[in-house]
Formats: sequence, C-alpha cells, structure tokens
Amino acid sequence: MFNIRKRRVVAAAAALTASAALVLTGCSGGGSEAAAEYDPDEKVTLNLAFWGNDVRAAMYEEAIAAFNEEYPNITVNSSFLNFPEFWEKRQTEAAGGGLPDVMQFDYSYLRQYSENGLLLDLSPYLGDIIDTEPLSENILDIGVVGDETTGIPTSTNAWGLYTNPKLLDQLGVEEFEGGDWADYDAWMKEITDAAAAQGVTIWGGTDYTGRIQNFELQQRAKGEDLFTEDGEPNFTEEDLAEFWESGSGIREEGTVIDQQRLEEIYPLSAFDSALTASELTWDNFGAGYLGNLGEGYTELGLVAPPVTEEGAKDLYLKPSMLHSISAKTDHPEAAATLVNFLVNSPEAGAAFGTNRGIPASETMLEGAELDPLGEQIREYEESISDRLGDAPPVPIVGYGSLEEKFRLIGQELAYGTLTVDEAVDQFFGELDVVLNE
Amino acid sequence: MSTIEVPRAEFLEVATEPRPPRRRRVKRKTVNTIIWFVVLFAITAVILYPLVWLVFSTFKPSSEFGQNPGLIPDNPTVDNYVKVLEGIGGTPLWRFFANSLFIALMAVIGTLFSSALAAYAFARIKFKGAGVLFAAMIGTLLLPFHVIIIPQYIIFNRLELVDTYWPLILPKFLATEAFFVFLIVQFIRNIPRDMDEAARIDGAGHLRIFFSIILPLIKPALITSAIFTFIWTWNDFLGPLLYVNSPEQYPLPIALRLYNDATSTSDYGATVAVSFLALLPILIFFIVFQRFLVDGVATQGLKG
Repeated sequence: MFNIRKRRVVAAAAALTASAALVLTGCSGGGSEAAAEYDPDEKVTLNLAFWGNDVRAAMYEEAIAAFNEEYPNITVNSSFLNFPEFWEKRQTEAAGGGLPDVMQFDYSYLRQYSENGLLLDLSPYLGDIIDTEPLSENILDIGVVGDETTGIPTSTNAWGLYTNPKLLDQLGVEEFEGGDWADYDAWMKEITDAAAAQGVTIWGGTDYTGRIQNFELQQRAKGEDLFTEDGEPNFTEEDLAEFWESGSGIREEGTVIDQQRLEEIYPLSAFDSALTASELTWDNFGAGYLGNLGEGYTELGLVAPPVTEEGAKDLYLKPSMLHSISAKTDHPEAAATLVNFLVNSPEAGAAFGTNRGIPASETMLEGAELDPLGEQIREYEESISDRLGDAPPVPIVGYGSLEEKFRLIGQELAYGTLTVDEAVDQFFGELDVVLNE
Repeated sequence: MSTIEVPRAEFLEVATEPRPPRRRRVKRKTVNTIIWFVVLFAITAVILYPLVWLVFSTFKPSSEFGQNPGLIPDNPTVDNYVKVLEGIGGTPLWRFFANSLFIALMAVIGTLFSSALAAYAFARIKFKGAGVLFAAMIGTLLLPFHVIIIPQYIIFNRLELVDTYWPLILPKFLATEAFFVFLIVQFIRNIPRDMDEAARIDGAGHLRIFFSIILPLIKPALITSAIFTFIWTWNDFLGPLLYVNSPEQYPLPIALRLYNDATSTSDYGATVAVSFLALLPILIFFIVFQRFLVDGVATQGLKG
C-alpha cells in the first residue's frame, strides 16, 4: 500500500515544485491583520476534502450535520478519496490554485505545502475562533512550520508493538514483557521455534530494520532526531550501517517472515494475515488489523517497543492527521470555524470516535465514545508517558520518498540482493537527491 | 512427454502393420487435435486465471484475503455484493454506473464527430498551414499527459468548470484525440478521390461530400475509434480524479477504490466485488463489438 502512494508523491512533487512560483505570486497578504469573527448570518459555501473510506465518509456526514445545526448558513461540500489519490489531486490543485477551503492534512506534507505558501497561517485565529484551551501546548506545536501554525492536529498516535494474543496462546508463548532489542529478537525466535515445533508457518515478527521509524527510535534514544530543525540529516553512515547490521541475525536465522511471503500477501501485511505474532507500527493501525484479521479476533496486545537506552525519551506523539485551510480561501473565518468544530467539538468526537486516532483535544475526547481498542490505545499512550519526548521537527520536504526508499532497501536486504554497505550508499545517494532538490 | 510419444508409437504401428492406413491417419489427426486443445486450454487457463480468481474472490469474506490466497473461498458468502449494492457514502451504486456511462457515451459522440471532421479537412482540403497543423497534431501524440495536467487544470479552474463533466467531455468535441484523427486521416487517404471528384462535378460541396460519400466509407475506422474511446474513457482514472469533486459525481474507477483506505481498514471483499461488476459492461460491450473491432483494424492495413 505504501509504494503506490510514494511513487505518485515523487512524480507530483516535481509538479508542485515547478508550480510553486506560480502560486507564490498569487498570495502575499496572509492573516497578519486582526482576525475577524465569522458573521453567522453570512451565507457561505466551503469545500472540505479528506481521505478515507466509506466508513469515514459517513462519520464526516454526521459531524457536518451537527455543525450545520449550529451554523445553518455554512454549506459544506465534502469530497473524499483514498490516500494516494487524495494527494495526487491536491498536488495538481495546489499548482492550479484550486485547493479546497478546509483539508484533512498529513504530517509528511505539512512542510512542503506550508513553505510554498499554500496553507493559511492560523495564528490569528488561535485562542479566538479556534479554541486552544483543550489542546496542549506540545500538540499545538506539532502544526507549526517556521513561525506559522498551518495545521491543527485532530488526534495523535505513537509507535508501539502490536501482538497477536490468539497466536501467542496457540503457541504457548507469553506476551512480550519489555526489554531491549536483543530480548525482542529472542522472544520472536521463541515464537518462530514454537510454531515450527507445532508444524505451523508462523513467525515471531517482521524484520524491523526495514522501517525508518525503528531507526529513528534508536537514534532518538541517543538523543538525536533524524533531521535537525533546519532539515539537515543528523545521522552518519556508520549509524545506519550498524542499524541494518543489527537485523542480519534475525533475517538469516529465519526468525522473521521472509520477503517472498510478504510479497505474496501484499497489500495486506503479515500481521494482518495472522502470519506473524507481532508488528512494530503506529498504534492507530489497531482497528485496521482487527478488521483484516476478521472474525475470531476481538482484541490485540499493545505494548511498548523494545528499549534502546534505559530512561531515554525515544518515543513521541505524532499527529495522525491535521486540519489545514487553503491560503486562497475566500472565507477564512468560516473555514476556521469549521476547523474548530472538527478539532474541538464533542459532537465531532461522538461522530468519529477513534477513527482518526485518539482525539487530541480534551473536549473532543469527552464526546468520543471509545471502543475497547480505543480505550486500550489511550491507556497505552498514557503508559508510555515516561518515554515520550518532544516531537521531532516537521518532516523535511521529500521525507515521504526517503521513507519509501528505506522500505525498498529493507526489502533488498531481506532478499539478500544488497549488502549493508551497498544499502547505506544507496540510501545516502537518495538523501543527497532529496536534500538538493 | 508421454502425450507426445503416443502418436509416434501409433505411427510406427501404421508403418509395420499392413492395415488400411486411412483410418489410422484420421485417428492420428484426432489425437493431434486433442493434444492441441489440451495445450491451448492450459495456456488459456493460465492467462484467464487472474480473472477467474477475481470472480471467485468476490465470494470471499474480507478477512479471508491474505489468509487464503487460493481460488476457492473457505467460507463462501454473498455479503460483498449485498454491501456493494448498498452504495458508497450514501450514493447508490447505479449512480456510478450512470456517471461512467454518461461520460463514456459523450466522449464517443464527441470524438467521432470532431475527429471525422478534422480528418476530412486534413485529408481532402488544401489550406494554408495544413502541413504545420498536421505536424502539430501529431506532435500532441508525443506529449505525455502529465505535462499538460497542470496547465489544463488552470484553464478549467479559471473557467470555473471544475467539478463538472465539461473538462472531461469538452476536449473530445474539439478533436484533441490526435490518435483518432490520424487514424481516420489515413483511412480517408486510402479512399480513391474519384468518388468525391464525381460528386464535386455533380455540384456537391464539402459538407455534402463528407456526409454522403466519405462518412459511409469510413465506417470501419469510426467503429474502431468508438470502441477504443469507450474503453479508454470507461477506464480513465486520472481525468475524473482531478476534475470531479463531489462523490455522487464520481465515475466507477474512482468509486471502486473508496472501499480502501491505506490508513485504516480496507474492505477487499467489497473492492473485488465492485471491480467485477465494473468489468461487466465493458466485457459485454467488447463481446458485442469485437467483430467490428477486428474488421475495423483489419481494413486499416488494406489499400482502398
């Protein structure tokens, strides 16, 4: 599911760069003057765009209906697409000057769109139309690019370790009790071995060195984000080589699922298909896993990822999505009113539940009825509070394609078609391209 | 291997035994035919397998994808169809079919009308700059669509035609499909000029010649163009993605991806079910028109 998304992103990024100049000439005056209030009698039509499936579309419909009870004069035309198509369309609109007034936004695109002046600076509306009381400072900081606030997080998620209780039970292996990466490797091996003994094809997990987030986690344990505030890389070739080297054991011993099997079940993941008993991923993936695992699964295990360095603040809360407003909107006040409703209102909480992640705003969280999984994720995020540090700087432009490159190199390592040294060379080559674009 | 050896053994028998060889030869022919059919059938099965898999998968519950990559569902169900027929996000399924059909039919009408007229002008009328214009038209064939996306979007955005079907249909009425113009030009060039010269002597103008003489003669080319336009438009994804905003206006290719969300749950069962349904009209269309399609393509290669 990721490679389609990223390939298109690369193509579209070129288009966006080419057109950034066009757009910049169009908008110079931001929101520097004092913010006006939305006049409730004014008839306004807003376009709202989000990504998601039919289920989420029904939730937005409910939220908008509640919004219209309060603001009957704002007509909201909503439109939704799947994630990759959503961004393909936005890239073209950004170039052509037709972005929707209010958008559901993704963290990885925030810097690119903000630096091109495509998003409205929300600072004048903060604490005014947009209520900041229920949002904590570090959550608001997530949507700040340069000195402008261009996005308000709707919800947060954190990196976690999902486990499959049914498989563990079947194999007679205890839940992962925490520990360092070596402990995690040993625990995975225990599962793979137990499965082999029973004659079933189940693995302990997936090769975690294929995901850049795990590298980030280990780097943050040393006190270093992947990129500095200015978007410079903050890791060396040795760091990366060491990280990939650390996964060679589990790959060669067959502790983790082999790449060929992963290709067979694509676009589902190994964890989706009950072929592995654990997966390191964002904690908001739980509902998707439960859905894809199907009947017979009502719960999942969710525990903290392995520890690299005792006491380090390696984890952080990432916005699962944000709401942003187009810089070219004709009705900034009305748009801000809608954003405030979608981010803060208990009615929106009631409509969405945990579909967009655990609500970031206290008032929205109050309105949300958490299902058992949602409650579990909320408790998980509380339980890791000791390990939660400041969020890293907003991802650099092109971070998406780096993340994808990292994943592809991980695959090649798993196939054994690349040595670690070649892999490091390739990644730094890609890094050069992205940084010098 | 053993299947190949069978006729050989018989052939040897024929050679050694003094029986009337005629019946034997017939039998050998049948065996050969059977072998051919088996081989062809095997190849066809391999090629058709993905389609057959799609059809069978529409009866798999969503959770079975990934766990059961095989052909036969473990727990067959019609739930996927029930869900799909309920529509997506409040829009009934037939609406997406109707949208697709409307766009495709308008595109066919527009392309045939405008391409035939443009082709006639290029092939039969001598006017200033004809060569340059023809080269420019061929040049647009070489332009990748991605180059023109943004300028085109800006134009339609300024005209405030975004979120209507105009950006998808209007260009078809302006002979922008250079491929079909070129195809028809070549076709008309192969038609002897004698006939339109005879008509000219009888006093017919260009319009009369076009409608009474050329148009009936280029029917195979028109049918080819119509079929391709229909199929391409029916399957077009990027155009509607960029220009259509309202979910109730989406054509099928976009609608059938709405069951998937890379960031949360994806309903694969519903996706394959709706994909299969979306395939049916074009399959029927192709079966009905394939005879014309082959005719049309075949006559392209012949001298008029």
